Amino acid sequence: MAVAVWGQETVFQTFKDTRVINSHSVETLKAGRMDIRISHRFGDIAGTAGGWQTFYGLENASDIMIGAEYGFTDNLMMGINRTKGAGPLKQNVHGFLKFRLITQEYEGSQPFSLAFLALGSGSTMPKSEIEGVLNFFEKSAHRFSYHLQVIMARQFSERFSFQISGGWTYRNIVPSDDQNDLVSVGAATRFQLTKSIGIIVDANFPISELRTTENGYYPALGVGFEWETGGGHVFQLNVTNATGIAETDFIPYTQTNWADGQYRLGFTISRLFTL
Amino acid sequence: MRNAVTLIILSIFLVGSVASWDEVHNKSWDDQLGVASVLRELGDSVVISKLPDFTVKGASAEKGKSIIEMGFAEKPGGGKSGKQSSHFVCTSCHNTSQEDPDLTVNDPLARLKYTADKGMPFLQATTLYGAVNRETYYNGDYYLKYGELVEPARNDIRGAIQLCATECAQGRALDDWEMESILLYLWDIDLKLVDLNLNEEEKEMVVDHLNNSNDHQEAIDLIKSRYLLKSDATFVYPPDDRKQGYDHAGNAENGKLIYENSCLHCHYKQKYSFFHLDSRKLSFKHLRAKAGSYSRQSIYQVIRWGVPTKSGKSSYMPQYTREKLTDEMVEDLRAYIEQQAQ
Repeated sequence: MAVAVWGQETVFQTFKDTRVINSHSVETLKAGRMDIRISHRFGDIAGTAGGWQTFYGLENASDIMIGAEYGFTDNLMMGINRTKGAGPLKQNVHGFLKFRLITQEYEGSQPFSLAFLALGSGSTMPKSEIEGVLNFFEKSAHRFSYHLQVIMARQFSERFSFQISGGWTYRNIVPSDDQNDLVSVGAATRFQLTKSIGIIVDANFPISELRTTENGYYPALGVGFEWETGGGHVFQLNVTNATGIAETDFIPYTQTNWADGQYRLGFTISRLFTL
Repeated sequence: MRNAVTLIILSIFLVGSVASWDEVHNKSWDDQLGVASVLRELGDSVVISKLPDFTVKGASAEKGKSIIEMGFAEKPGGGKSGKQSSHFVCTSCHNTSQEDPDLTVNDPLARLKYTADKGMPFLQATTLYGAVNRETYYNGDYYLKYGELVEPARNDIRGAIQLCATECAQGRALDDWEMESILLYLWDIDLKLVDLNLNEEEKEMVVDHLNNSNDHQEAIDLIKSRYLLKSDATFVYPPDDRKQGYDHAGNAENGKLIYENSCLHCHYKQKYSFFHLDSRKLSFKHLRAKAGSYSRQSIYQVIRWGVPTKSGKSSYMPQYTREKLTDEMVEDLRAYIEQQAQ
């Protein structure tokens, strides 16, 4: 029963994890697997808010995510998590579904993998008494925002993978000088140094005349390394300018700039279980 | 021809069917007749203790096959049963076909080549084919691993199945209908007379015994001499010097078969494990780098001691006993890893 690794055989682990750094990867959980995840983004390492006064950001938490995710099939997963929230909406609860429609084959007819992500976010922060602020929440619907994304990736070799994505984010409530919907594009890559250690990079660019550096908005850029310790445990350490963790947060609200020292340490602990 | 004439050609109701045992009145030689059924006819007391309990409602061999291969089956009242184990199914570690070319000897290398020829995986646990023909279970050093849990399992097939379900598979205990279904299926895949390689004279003697009410011990002894009555287990230490390995030159060709038919059976795409392995360079380089280390990622460590359960996780990797992988074969595997990591 020699296991065929080439030909029609589908590629396994274009990325090690279901996330790159800020972005979702094209990966889904295997059927029956549960992933308990904790992600953390500290404060600015440098710049006016960083340095010794905050121990290079380690004494601050820009955002924290705690969640659980589950694979219904090898190509369909869902997740629910809670984030502190780094944008104007806090105490967020997110739910998402990710479906992988195409899986790359080594030498078959599928040269890439393709996945779709649908995410909904709801802020549970208290309603403000101040009219005009985002969390005044005149309607309950104002608490919600959404993100749809298509993700395409290819593993070029066992060491190198590349991914591009296109997203559409819709926030039910935005400041008066903003737009509800926002298109974005993203790119991510992985370079595997050894079987267990890899370097990962990702970037997300909002496409809007309102999302310019002149207006104080920046692409979310991250670089990190991930370490698979075996036994279903992947540890990721990263540095990114994004303060938020969820797509409905870091895509519309990244106003921190690498060039100003506003990058931060982040980590994700992912622990897999079989149910 | 003379022997054929002398054989008593009578009706057979037994072929592969437990339900028809009581209808056997006239016996002739049939290659596909189950050995356990014949032993039962001959009055062997050991095999009689393994008869399924037909009073348990809702049990069937078909359901037993489903539980063994998929971990679940249709419940007696309808609907699908919950998976017996989240981590393993029986076929993660057991084949269900004959895996040894010679049933009278334990020869892991011959088994490796035989299973490869048959397109079967090469696994840590003994095949379920002929499980009802074996007389003791969890033999040898399994007492070191499971302690007193072995006692109700060693001489009782139901105890052995239940221990396998709860400890080896780290799953729930089997319900009565599941247990009897598995037993019915195991009776379906017991050794067949053809597997015994009896000559014509021996066949004639067995048939003669089947049709006479004399003392059948001679025939029972003959049949039982043609296969191993137990699957022994000897736990082995990793080599003292893991960089050096065992004192054997490895054969990479054999190592390839071990890697592909054993390691990848569980690890490829994390089928039964969280640790993915494939036939690409990074996997081999990783295994080569860790082989000489004193960590749980060393092939010597995981092969000889397995991987224990970890906090919050009950999945693990069982070890290979000497009867399943000799020291020479471990070096074969290392030789293949070294070759492929170049």
